Amino acid sequence: MDLNLTEEQTLIVGMVRRFVREEILPLELGLDPDASELPAEEKDRLVALTREMGLYGLGIPPEYGGPEIDLVTQTLIAVEMSQHRAGLYAPCYGAFGGAGLAQLFEATEAQKERYLYPTLKGEKRGFFGLSEPSGGSDPARAIQTRAVREGDDWIINGGKLWISGADKADYGLVFARTDPDRGRNGVTCFIVDADTPGFHVRRIVHTLRAAHYATELSFEDMRVPSANILGKVNGGFAIANDRLTRQRIPYAAGCIGVAIKAQEMALDYVPQRETFGAPLSTRQGIQWMLVDNDIDIRQSLWITLEAASRADQKQPFRKEAAMAKLVATEAGGRVVDRCMQMFGGLGVAKELPFERWFREMRIRRIGEGPSEVQRHVIARELLGASFR
Amino acid sequence: MKVLVPVKRVVDYNVKIRVKPDNSGVDLSNVKMSVNPFCEIAIEEAVRLKEAGTATEVVAVTVGSSASQEQLRTCLALGADRAVLIETDADAQPLGIAKALKALQEKEGAELVIFGKQSIDGDNSQTGQMFAALTGMPQGTFASEVKIADGRIDVTREIDGGLQTVSLKLPAVVTTDLRLNEPRYASLPNIMKAKKKPLDVVTPDELGVDLTPSVEVLSVEPPAERQAGIKVESVEELVDKLKNEAKVIS
Ligand SMILES: Cc1cc2nc3c(=O)[nH]c(=O)nc-3n(C[C@H](O)[C@H](O)[C@H](O)COP(=O)(O)OP(=O)(O)OC[C@H]3O[C@@H](n4cnc5c(N)ncnc54)[C@H](O)[C@@H]3O)c2cc1C
Repeated sequence: MDLNLTEEQTLIVGMVRRFVREEILPLELGLDPDASELPAEEKDRLVALTREMGLYGLGIPPEYGGPEIDLVTQTLIAVEMSQHRAGLYAPCYGAFGGAGLAQLFEATEAQKERYLYPTLKGEKRGFFGLSEPSGGSDPARAIQTRAVREGDDWIINGGKLWISGADKADYGLVFARTDPDRGRNGVTCFIVDADTPGFHVRRIVHTLRAAHYATELSFEDMRVPSANILGKVNGGFAIANDRLTRQRIPYAAGCIGVAIKAQEMALDYVPQRETFGAPLSTRQGIQWMLVDNDIDIRQSLWITLEAASRADQKQPFRKEAAMAKLVATEAGGRVVDRCMQMFGGLGVAKELPFERWFREMRIRRIGEGPSEVQRHVIARELLGASFR
Repeated sequence: MKVLVPVKRVVDYNVKIRVKPDNSGVDLSNVKMSVNPFCEIAIEEAVRLKEAGTATEVVAVTVGSSASQEQLRTCLALGADRAVLIETDADAQPLGIAKALKALQEKEGAELVIFGKQSIDGDNSQTGQMFAALTGMPQGTFASEVKIADGRIDVTREIDGGLQTVSLKLPAVVTTDLRLNEPRYASLPNIMKAKKKPLDVVTPDELGVDLTPSVEVLSVEPPAERQAGIKVESVEELVDKLKNEAKVIS
């Protein structure tokens, strides 16, 4: 077994590393510590560069115009792309483009024309509306938003909570109950235009993540045509499972990139900083933090690459993807926390990226399926029929 | 016109280097290595000449261990057509490298050889000049602009106090300064293509050159730590200190 990168992977990683170092880090110095977007002209310039590199639209399947690149290599790229202050939720400030919502790839051609393609071109934005005040871990049971059929339309009433970016979106996916008696098999996914009468963004929900805040939505007699059902009626949870599982892998990779950068900064700092007459790097208490960081980084990296490699080889990877998400978010949190400690007051100052990483990394253990839900998925895979 | 571009594998410019505890050199274990930035500029210039139709072939060459293949692949991904590794595990020094390159040039017969002006490890700034002397080719060092026409190359050089333009008859040697161009990013398709481009390996023996080092390194020391600065109360005090302590003005 050869655990080295291929020659091409080394070159691709090197190219993205240089991009972050030469394009992103200098720009970021001039931005607000919580910024998640670049001025339009800078963004356009960087997008032109990533297009030249042939890496624009990373994560978009090749048949939709994305680069021809396997998931292992994408993971390695995602690890590089996140190595800056905004790296967790805005890696490279979107210069590599975005894949949009996974479910839209399963849409009808007419729906794709209207929503997917404009999103891939960066002309439209969509939100993902699953969680509700009644709970996000187990949406199949928690969803109370109702959709009732009226002729060829559906009337939706209810609301959503924690929905990222809905106030700036042109449309979104709304999961609503269409059969109250069928649990998981009674939920349908609707594509809803943000200008539909009855669609309201009630408030911004402030969290640890200052940029990309969440919102609360309410729907009052919102009329949506049948043509806007994504997938089948009562089949909302059957769409894009595989793509959603895949998404956990770059999600984990972003945490690993931030952990690598934090550790790099700490390794640079501790030999310079003196206390009680000697550099911090000579203290075992500090050395062991660095050691634990290195172990945390490695375990998350290898577990995540394994998940990616299994996906590339068309082997089952649900368990491994859940582990990657779980391990990388938790290890990433520990690494950032230890690095903050080594930097002392500077560690919590806005001048350095740790405080933003610390806040955003904390959310990562909750968003996209909390740690407990990942453990639940892993346990189910391990135990099969005797799970319950 | 064939362009030969000698490049060097060096410690990445972003790495904080450490001197080995026994002062025998710089610790290179587990350190990221890259193409020397000035050599990247040289590759970029050669590729631009090819894109402009002036050059027909760009050949990247390096003298070093087999690990240097990684840097040659980078050059191929950046647009070089083929690469040659003159493989040696010896500590390659400017004179030895220049001799090996001369032997290669005798086989290749390039009309233009573009070096980086120096490599960021040893900062010698010697190899290009030694190569020019050994081959008898005219040289234009520290180039910030080059123009090729009618069998000649005009090289604008960055010199102390300004710019100087020299006109050289081809075949000629150029070494690149920082402002000659801004190297591009490799692209995914070109990285994939690089794999299929030829990379030949030759030994110094095959070229009939001896790379035995002629310079012996006695000891490598890190630079002295900088002293902390001080705050002055007034302009008068500043002038006084610059005059009498720092002695930088009189
Ligand atoms: C900043 C932010 C942005 C978000 N953006 C979106 C978005 O765009 N779209 C969207 O749909 N959602 C979004 N979410 C919601 C997120 O997905 C949910 O918060 C998450 O799924 C958890 O749901 P919950 O908050 O309702 O917690 P609950 O479901 O109430 O769970 C509470 C806690 O109990 C734990 N728990 C649950 N079940 C078990 C069990 N069986 N055993 C042990 N412990 C358990 C959970 O892990 C959690 O820690 C966002 C959340 C945040 C904070």
